[in-house]
Amino acid sequence: MSRPTTVDELIDSRLMARLDQLDVISRKIFTSKIQGERRSRRRGQSVEFADFRNYSPGDDLRFVDWNIYARLDRLFLKMFLEEEDLSMVIALDVSASMDAGEPNKIDYARRLAMALGYIGLVNNNRVSLFAFGGERLERLSGLRSRRRTREMGQWLLGRPIGGEAQFGDAMRAIALGGQGRGVLLVLSDFLFPDGYEQGLKYVAGRGFDLFALQILAPQETDPARHGLSGDMRLVDSETQQEIEVTASSAVLSEYRNSMEQYIAGMRDFAVRRSISHVLVETTLDLDTLLIDYLRRRGLLA
Amino acid sequence: MTWLAPLAAGIVALSTIPPLVALYFLRLRRTRRVVSSTLLWKRATEDLHANTPFQRIRFSLLLLLQLLALALVVLAIAQPQADMGERSAARIVFLIDRSGSMGTQDMEGGTTRLEEAKRRAVARIRQLHGGGLFSGPAPSVMVIAFAREAEVIAPFTTNAAQLTGAIESIVPTDETTKIADGFELARAFTTVTNPDDASATPAEPPSYEIFSDGLVADVALCALRPGERVVYRPVAGEQQANAGLGALAAARTPDHPDEVEVYARVINWGHEIRRTDLELRVDGSIRAVTPRPVEVPARSVATGSTVVAPGESQVVFPSIALPSGGLLTVRLLEGDALPADDRASVIAPPQEALTVALVGRGSFVLRSILGAMGLATLDAFSVDEWNSKIDADSGTPDQYDAIVLDGVAPNLVRRGRYLIFGPPPPIEGIVPYGSKSNAIVRGSREGHPLLEFVNLDELFVASMHAVAGGADADAIVEASEGPLVLTVQRGPLTAVYLTFDPMESNWPFQRGFVNFVANSIRWLASGGASVTDEPLTPGDVAAARVPAGAAKVTWRSADGSTEALTVGSGSEVSFGPLRTSGVHEIAWEGPANPAGARAERVAVNMNSREEGSVQAAESLDFASERVAGVVGGGERLSALWPWLLLAALAVLLLEWWVWLRRV
Repeated sequence: MSRPTTVDELIDSRLMARLDQLDVISRKIFTSKIQGERRSRRRGQSVEFADFRNYSPGDDLRFVDWNIYARLDRLFLKMFLEEEDLSMVIALDVSASMDAGEPNKIDYARRLAMALGYIGLVNNNRVSLFAFGGERLERLSGLRSRRRTREMGQWLLGRPIGGEAQFGDAMRAIALGGQGRGVLLVLSDFLFPDGYEQGLKYVAGRGFDLFALQILAPQETDPARHGLSGDMRLVDSETQQEIEVTASSAVLSEYRNSMEQYIAGMRDFAVRRSISHVLVETTLDLDTLLIDYLRRRGLLA
Repeated sequence: MTWLAPLAAGIVALSTIPPLVALYFLRLRRTRRVVSSTLLWKRATEDLHANTPFQRIRFSLLLLLQLLALALVVLAIAQPQADMGERSAARIVFLIDRSGSMGTQDMEGGTTRLEEAKRRAVARIRQLHGGGLFSGPAPSVMVIAFAREAEVIAPFTTNAAQLTGAIESIVPTDETTKIADGFELARAFTTVTNPDDASATPAEPPSYEIFSDGLVADVALCALRPGERVVYRPVAGEQQANAGLGALAAARTPDHPDEVEVYARVINWGHEIRRTDLELRVDGSIRAVTPRPVEVPARSVATGSTVVAPGESQVVFPSIALPSGGLLTVRLLEGDALPADDRASVIAPPQEALTVALVGRGSFVLRSILGAMGLATLDAFSVDEWNSKIDADSGTPDQYDAIVLDGVAPNLVRRGRYLIFGPPPPIEGIVPYGSKSNAIVRGSREGHPLLEFVNLDELFVASMHAVAGGADADAIVEASEGPLVLTVQRGPLTAVYLTFDPMESNWPFQRGFVNFVANSIRWLASGGASVTDEPLTPGDVAAARVPAGAAKVTWRSADGSTEALTVGSGSEVSFGPLRTSGVHEIAWEGPANPAGARAERVAVNMNSREEGSVQAAESLDFASERVAGVVGGGERLSALWPWLLLAALAVLLLEWWVWLRRV
């Protein structure tokens, strides 16, 4: 599959049509600065009654329940379920390690980010995008409505790829960035030399409904089946560190064990912190991922 | 297979192969490959390498090819040589057979066995000197060519070029084969130690390599000494059949002295009956051919014996008129692989037309003998008549081919050719000192022309003159009491002196006396030269008398080569050895001989009975041991290291190609 260069290549109309029927589900109700279409657990200014409370000076007199006052001669305020807008944050790993594999991981991640962002925009959620790689952290925030789709797509296409991922710094910046609260989708391979734990801890503790989408190429999950053999000097695409490997069956078997342990370790980490860990191999069809896989995982509905 | 430098190869192998394998343990050439992250690879390899200082060596085609190339180089350094047999001695004696049978043309391309032997000997020299850097010094080699006698062609040397040149210079002969001389000659060179140094260690016996067809007459009489090692390299093709001439003779018939009869004996060494035509040539012109093919029986082995006897058949050509003599040559028309014995020659002397003077009493016995010789003239004189005739003309004796003094002593015996019986003649150097009686023969010169067909065993002399011969007197027959027959050759004088009166002995009653008189007359007539009418055999040395004053005497050999001869005292020249069969000739400038010629010819014939058997021997049966032939050992003794290096190069190229494909 060739690298997408236009927005139409990132997301085609057929997929858009199918995605129109989806919405992002948050497991939590978050406060927001403006009212949204979403029923929040916070009581507030929505049409749906939730509770009463005693009036205190300064409260909006419009919400005083005058009928109660007439019967009980006491002022009560009517409390309504507040309908909030959902803040959808997508953090995309554009470090050098993502430009690998066949199908390519970054291409896959871009398409996935585009599709998720589109779902957010269609449902009038507030969509923010972050791209981290090397020393930089780029953002595109405050997108709302379908009209911003093309802008979002062009932004995704315009992000340069390369550098060593500074995952911890990027997550900390997102956590402190005042994005409000919402769904945070991290799209990365999570193969960071410094580990993923610290970065996830930054955002996990901020109340995000956090999804860690781990995107791996088939060459990474099973190199033996994809032509890796012989005596090699492997070069890390980010750190340029070299390691000599002889692809014997023992080494390849050990690699698979390490990969499985790594994924299992990350899954355990995520579970303990209420993070949804989703392992995505780039051979998985995007439609299947969105419409079937992520729905079952509770991200989309 | 022999390794000339196994130690060097071992050192190289030990110093190169382990490091090469170690390189594969330590480090491989790896393909560079960029991956997204080495994080997990580190974990995988760290687990594996945690407790192993060396990786377990794995199958690698490159390592295999490199080891193969290295092994080939190591083998090349060891310098293997195929069929080398045992390790070469420090000194080797090449004994190369150049006898008549080695002229058999049954080798590849129709070359002779001698040519092939020389080729193999040269190849052997190359092998001994072709070792290269690590083989150490080449052995010292001596080259001896042997046939009837042995000759050192090259003394001990390590110079390959000199040895090769010496071997190439060996010329074929038609001689018989005797190897004992060769061993004696070699031992003379190898066993002599420094006589001044008592502690000198005896030299190590050399190794002998014999290039021959194994048809050696005296091999059973040779014993090898302790430590002597012999390698027999048979040089022969498949040829087994051969026919040749075993004998050739010509004789004048008594009834017609101007005619000659020729007798030939044909020898067949083949397993089957041989039929062949014979031709007779006189001075090169065909005079007769056998009317039908001569049938010669096959070879046979006597019952209870291992000795092989050839089939024989005698041929007598019809008499031909040959008053002036000539060269008679008989040839087998159906040639075979050994041409040397297919032809034989004999010189027929001119018809005898001698003039003889008989001085003295002229006994009946002598008259009868001389009369039967068919002389041209026989003049009889009394001693006084002879004396007066000489006084009148001092050149009178030269008119006669021989002068017989029967019991008389003329006044003057200074020039001429005399056969003298009885009283001591007035010849300076013959000093009488009385008389003796009852003498019997104590010794005689066997083979002297005067004694041909003369048996002296029964000779008894009742009374004889005791004389002392001078420096130029030669005693032919001697008794205890003094010489019985003397010859004197001094300038123009040649004399045969019988110191007794035949009538005082029993000799006239024996057939030998007749032959003696006839031999003496002929010998005197021929000027006293020892050239016989009997053909010589290859290897003989011939002698001839040339007229006084002859100059520029040259010997033209049967093979066409010429050689200048030096005339010795008494106008005698000797030449030879006559190595090849055929007609040899000496020629001179100046006065002609009594026959009016300025050349003399001798015929040399190879005797097929001795050298005609061409079936090569598979082994040499020395008196002490049997030495089996090393079959084919000469050809494949090439050094293998160039081929091994080529193979190593090819393997390296293959390894390079495999490496390129991987990178």
